Amino acid sequence: MILEIDNIELYFKNKRILNGIYLKAETGKVTGILGVNGSGKTSLLYIVFGCLQPKYKLIRIDNKPILKPLYLTNKIGFLTQHHFIPRNIKIKSVFLLFNISWEDFNKKFNALNINKHSIFSTLSGGERRLVETFVILKSNKKIVLLDEPFSHIAPVYIETIKRLITELKKDKVIIITDHLYRHFMDVSDDLYLIKDGHSEFIKNTKELEDYKYLSLGTIS
Amino acid sequence: MKQLLSIYVFYRPFILWSLGVSFLFSIIGYNLIPIFIIKLVLIVFLWYLLANTSGSKKFIFYKNLGISNLKLFSSIFFIDICLNLPILLIFKEFV
Repeated sequence: MILEIDNIELYFKNKRILNGIYLKAETGKVTGILGVNGSGKTSLLYIVFGCLQPKYKLIRIDNKPILKPLYLTNKIGFLTQHHFIPRNIKIKSVFLLFNISWEDFNKKFNALNINKHSIFSTLSGGERRLVETFVILKSNKKIVLLDEPFSHIAPVYIETIKRLITELKKDKVIIITDHLYRHFMDVSDDLYLIKDGHSEFIKNTKELEDYKYLSLGTIS
Repeated sequence: MKQLLSIYVFYRPFILWSLGVSFLFSIIGYNLIPIFIIKLVLIVFLWYLLANTSGSKKFIFYKNLGISNLKLFSSIFFIDICLNLPILLIFKEFV
């Protein structure tokens, strides 16, 4: 599957946030989006998901334009920066709704000691984040959007999440954005940088210094 | 079925409020149809309120399950009618 995002133009009141965005993501590759704070990365993910209506947009899947919001196709999962699973739901219900094996989760994160019968709000922020990331990654969605998946997660579990992303990219289009640069670079195959509302395809990571996303000398 | 379960998760915190509104307007003397019209207005108001505040974040969960806002709120309205109708009919027999 090839997902193309083209010709995005987004304004908030009179302020131009995005214009001239082109991004191509495909099954088998993790596509990373970089950009400084406020560059429009999260807005772009919301546009792709179908929650935010820009002035112009063109989204194609395998060269076919998709006119309705992508979430209505049931092909896309979105891990937002904030907690998205309701606080009052039982953990086992979340796994049931997304059709995911609880045993699988327990095997990967056995040190967590989470009781599947407890309510979601009883988990810590990091545990909630882990469950949400796992649920979105393992659901049957063919397109997965991950907005800062490594934030608020312990290093040991970041490694597990990275392994999971690498394992699942064979069957999914994965688009990721994060400020934890090292982890982000470990999993990303293609890189785009959003700067001044435009997207730039990054062929060589050294370019990130040229575009002043990274300080000089960060990449040795 | 799973979509219905997730819609119920959204509706659950409002069940008692909904019953309270039904009983209140029933005691005042409203008939069933005006009560349901009031509830429709309240549901549209709730939708507007959530959509224009940080409450809109709550919708992401349902959208991840392929449920649009329209589907979510119209389902809640119909579930609410199905739940309230028999209760109100019995209640009206005694009041």
